[in-house]
Amino acid sequence: MIRVSGLRKQFGSNQILRGVEFEVPAKSVLGVIGASGSGKTTLLRCLNGLERLDGGTIQCNDVVLETNISAAEYRRRVKNLRLEVGTVFQHFFLFPHLSVLGNVIEAPVHVRGVPKKKAEAEAHELLDAVGMKHAVRRYPDSLSGGEQQRVAIARALAMQPALVLFDEPTSALDPRRIQSLRALLRSFVDRGHTMIIISHSIGFLGAVSDNLLFMEGGLVVEHGPTGQMMKEPKDPRTKDFLAQAE
Amino acid sequence: MNNIQPLRLIICCLTVLHVFSVASAQDVLRWGADPSGGAPYVYTDPSAPDNYIGYEKEMVDALATAMGKKAEFVPSDWETLVSALQRKSFDVIVNGLEPTGDRAQQILFSKPYYIFQLQLTVRREDNRITSLDDCKNRIVGTLGNTAASRMLQQQNIPFRSYQDPVGAYRDLELKRIDAVLMDVPAEAFYARKNQKLKQAGPPFSRGLYVIGLRKGDEALKAQVDAGIDKIIVDGTLESILKKWGLWNDAQVEFQTPIRTGTKQEVGNIEMTNSSFNWGEALKRLTKAAMVTVLIAFGSMLIAVVLGLPLALGQWKGPIWLRVICTAYVEFFRGTPVLVQLLFLYFGLPVIGIAMPGWLTALVGLGLNYAAYESQVYRAALEAIPKGQWEAAYSLGMSPILAFRRIILPQAFRFALPPMTNDFVSLFKDTSVAFAISVWELATAYRELANASGQFLLLGLIVSIFYLAMSLPMAHLARLLEQSMRGRTTERPEEAEVAA
Repeated sequence: MIRVSGLRKQFGSNQILRGVEFEVPAKSVLGVIGASGSGKTTLLRCLNGLERLDGGTIQCNDVVLETNISAAEYRRRVKNLRLEVGTVFQHFFLFPHLSVLGNVIEAPVHVRGVPKKKAEAEAHELLDAVGMKHAVRRYPDSLSGGEQQRVAIARALAMQPALVLFDEPTSALDPRRIQSLRALLRSFVDRGHTMIIISHSIGFLGAVSDNLLFMEGGLVVEHGPTGQMMKEPKDPRTKDFLAQAE
Repeated sequence: MNNIQPLRLIICCLTVLHVFSVASAQDVLRWGADPSGGAPYVYTDPSAPDNYIGYEKEMVDALATAMGKKAEFVPSDWETLVSALQRKSFDVIVNGLEPTGDRAQQILFSKPYYIFQLQLTVRREDNRITSLDDCKNRIVGTLGNTAASRMLQQQNIPFRSYQDPVGAYRDLELKRIDAVLMDVPAEAFYARKNQKLKQAGPPFSRGLYVIGLRKGDEALKAQVDAGIDKIIVDGTLESILKKWGLWNDAQVEFQTPIRTGTKQEVGNIEMTNSSFNWGEALKRLTKAAMVTVLIAFGSMLIAVVLGLPLALGQWKGPIWLRVICTAYVEFFRGTPVLVQLLFLYFGLPVIGIAMPGWLTALVGLGLNYAAYESQVYRAALEAIPKGQWEAAYSLGMSPILAFRRIILPQAFRFALPPMTNDFVSLFKDTSVAFAISVWELATAYRELANASGQFLLLGLIVSIFYLAMSLPMAHLARLLEQSMRGRTTERPEEAEVAA
């Protein structure tokens, strides 16, 4: 289970997150919507420890990241948090000097210390699951955007994180591929993963998410089950946003 | 009006000067010699740096007077005296010049004016060497293209050529070489009073000093010969030599027949000939090529290894480290590598660090190129997108692991092409080691060519040597680059995933 409370982040005098609160039940998908500049991406970067919190807490299973601890302790907890949280970036950031297989086994072997043979066996399973088994020996530059995304998903899942973050997963995909991505993500939720997905595509989030969260101005405006949020949003601001997104 | 008059005056003066100089050209004896480290022949007066002194300077002044001319000194370079004479930079060479077979093909010789001998010098505490025969397995320093160097070459004694006696005797003191063989006049001036050195055995092997003239300049030769006889007969030369401490039995033997008008005996004078043989030359060139390769690879290793901490310090280090690294880089990039080498070679012994020449060149070039490599690395590291770091962090990697496994291998791909260029240019830069008498290809070329006159042919051979070494290197680097680029297409993954 993931719980975020009172999360604050600012860049200089610019307050990006002003006390974000929400919970994500295990084995569910949370879709985060909001206009550009609402703080979605910063939220994501706080959740995987790429941005330092200015206030509040992030709890992911046993790891609690908070601000009233020493710098060394904070670093240690960020490290633990990153073992619980995997990220699939908008631009994937695959390692171009490593093959597809190399990308997937890199962290299990060198961070977790999994024996190479075992890591490779697991990687083959994952790549099979994301439909990239045919390309294990290829290098990222030779893959299409959709293929790169599937490798990035396999790479993140190889570390067996409790929570997987997705930043704009549909931006590089055509409609047919968006459909298959939805099916793929749901299959991983069924296997026990929890996900937070940031996207501008309300249609995609409506189809894949269990819950939706609408952000504006660094605050959570509304948070609830996807069906209810989509049909009858309580807050007028949510209503406006969804109406414009139609 | 005010402007016109001075101008007219200047024109008038120039005209007068011109007429005067044309008229006096007949009455001037322009002589060339190398004054750097040239004592006691001709050298810069330490107490009046714009003035030249030396026994040959005094002798030429006396000679010119005897010929009814005025002497004019043209400072030149020992190694290129003959070609400078042929280019008419001056009319005669007076620089302790020995008549040799190869020189005789290029220039005319006057009558001899001095009998010189050779003197072997060693360190005071060294009792191993008492004659040249003890030097078979040691390194002997001498001046390039002299009777001494030819004798060492003929006897197959390993030797190192120097531009001037100062460098040779200093390296002897610093134990970079084991002995120095030099003409007695130079030895008397530079080594005899040095407490750290001593003579190894008596002077040996007689030779002649003559004046060199252009071929076809027979009239001037007749005048010079007559002048030499005159200053010998009237005792002028004797008093000059006595003043400089160069008067000895050999001179008495040599001058007496001239002064008494009897026939000159030159039977006991050895006239050295340069024995240039191509087999030997190629052997020495090959050795030089190996030294060149050693210096190039050794210094590149230093540069590649030292460049990384420099780049990291300058890139991510705390402010004090950044300042130090930047200062290092700017110092080594902003000063000539030649000056850096001279500093390491001549400057460091002052604080007790005396490295042999090849090591000095290796270390010096390594330190110099480390500055350049650090900038190549820095640019390559900065070219890696921030997303690569973040992806690595997100997978739980520590900064060090992310750097080692993700950033560095990618940066290496960016760095490889400029590093290849640097290596090829480093390879050519090894030729600056010439300045500190390292026997590498450039030194070998200059010396062998000076000894043989085969500038063109040896130049071609040396170029082929350089190319034979640098082309495969460039080719290898290209292959490496291609194989790395080739990874974007399908390739077995064993190659890059090292457990």
